[in-house]
Amino acid sequence: MIEEPYRWVEAIGNRREYIEHQLESGSPIACLAYDDGILFLTLSRERQKIFEIYDRIGMGAIGHPGDIERLRMAAIEVASTEGFTRSAQDVSLRRLANYALSPLLKTAFEQVYGAPYLARMIFAELGRGSDSNLFVRLEYDGSIHASGGTLSRTFENFGVISGTALSTSLMEKFLRAQNFVSAGLENAINVALDAWAVGHLSLGRDAQDELPSAEKIATHRKEHLASAVIEASVMERSSNLPITYRTLVPDNLAFLS
Amino acid sequence: MDSPIQASPFAAVAPEDFSSLLRRQGLYPQAAAMTANPRMDLPHTEATTILAFKFAGGVLVAGDRRATAGNIVVYDRADKVLEIDRHSLMAIAGVPATAWEMARVLEHSFQFYRRSQLQEMSLDGKVRALSKLLRDNFGFVMQGVGVVVPIFATYDTAGDTARLYFYDAMGAQFEAADYAATGSGSPSVRSVLYYENTWGKKTLRKLEQSEAVVLALRALDTAAESDTATGGVDRRGRSYPIIKIVSKAGITTLGEKALAAIYKTKIK
Repeated sequence: MIEEPYRWVEAIGNRREYIEHQLESGSPIACLAYDDGILFLTLSRERQKIFEIYDRIGMGAIGHPGDIERLRMAAIEVASTEGFTRSAQDVSLRRLANYALSPLLKTAFEQVYGAPYLARMIFAELGRGSDSNLFVRLEYDGSIHASGGTLSRTFENFGVISGTALSTSLMEKFLRAQNFVSAGLENAINVALDAWAVGHLSLGRDAQDELPSAEKIATHRKEHLASAVIEASVMERSSNLPITYRTLVPDNLAFLS
Repeated sequence: MDSPIQASPFAAVAPEDFSSLLRRQGLYPQAAAMTANPRMDLPHTEATTILAFKFAGGVLVAGDRRATAGNIVVYDRADKVLEIDRHSLMAIAGVPATAWEMARVLEHSFQFYRRSQLQEMSLDGKVRALSKLLRDNFGFVMQGVGVVVPIFATYDTAGDTARLYFYDAMGAQFEAADYAATGSGSPSVRSVLYYENTWGKKTLRKLEQSEAVVLALRALDTAAESDTATGGVDRRGRSYPIIKIVSKAGITTLGEKALAAIYKTKIK
């Protein structure tokens, strides 16, 4: 049936709808720069969603755990091989996303007889020295949304993913209005938690197309902190080792209570 | 005929280690055939001196900096004490090309394991990983090239104790109780360390860091006295031995200034 072109388009459309449906309950992940690096944060109940990929690259993902695992392993494999055969400086998120992961995702997505990857990912790379950070959102169909820095678009020092497009765009809208880049880690954690609440409030089919009030954000955040766990990691510029990635421990989050 | 060994149903999902990943991609150093080169005697000395011992603050690892080819001094700034991770050092006597490659594979193996398996490799796993690399390299040793005899020093954060291992060229690993030495200058170093540990004012394990550093430098100096392949100290060229310390807090490297001061007051 899918020999006919329009059938193929239809099949792809169905597939997109199916994947979006699978992802729509995904808990948002916020990823933002602060004065000493980059913070990844989400609220989760059981499974780990934020991972180290290489010395200066981290990843957060929502979707099916099996698919996330395969993509995570692919990313680590590509980065480690490059870092071993050349050097750690040659490992770059731009190349990892554009040349390795995006084609892989696109192929799996468009081969309608095979299974697509049920995953949406956010990657961040900590810039070296005075280089700027890079945030890349990678979709199940291989499309890439990078943090900008082109002539037509201002650079954004954050990246987010969430279950739906609406939720993602509201989180971005919220973060654009916040100040966090030059403040400390505790401030970044607070902003990220608020961004998470914005994203989580706007999941679901009947979500409003506008930012929730500050009051609503605070209540929602409090409600969920009581039942879920904060999962957070940082990549620190001040690290005296090549490895910058570190998972935050409860001590780092004690200031919240 | 079917192979009597059935492929495990878990083969496809079992965690892959970094050297098999490299092998699959054709990036692993080629193993030489396991045949001895008839025109060559198996080498029994590795031209250098490396020593390591446990003291009150952890493990100290020291090495001279001379690299030789036969009776020619090739380089006087060789770094033979290599950092593998936050708490592990590998010190090498033997062929630098092979040794540095091994250190590189080892370093990446530990990182790859942590990133892919989401947990730190155990201390026993790390010690064994080096052993495996040495075994893989034995073909080259039989050919008369590429022999490496390392020392591995690490801090066991779980057991809160310093650990020290030495290896032979085939990959057998031995845990040292107090000290280990390798390379052509090791007989004299071993004697010095044995003497100090048995009849000295304090056993090695009770030494403070400053005392341990002085002892290490004196032992290396003793080795350089009779072994031409062990580099001494060139104060004008400011080339001093490398000394690194592994403790609970991680790895510290002794700076050139600190070593220069010790040489001035304690060595000569």
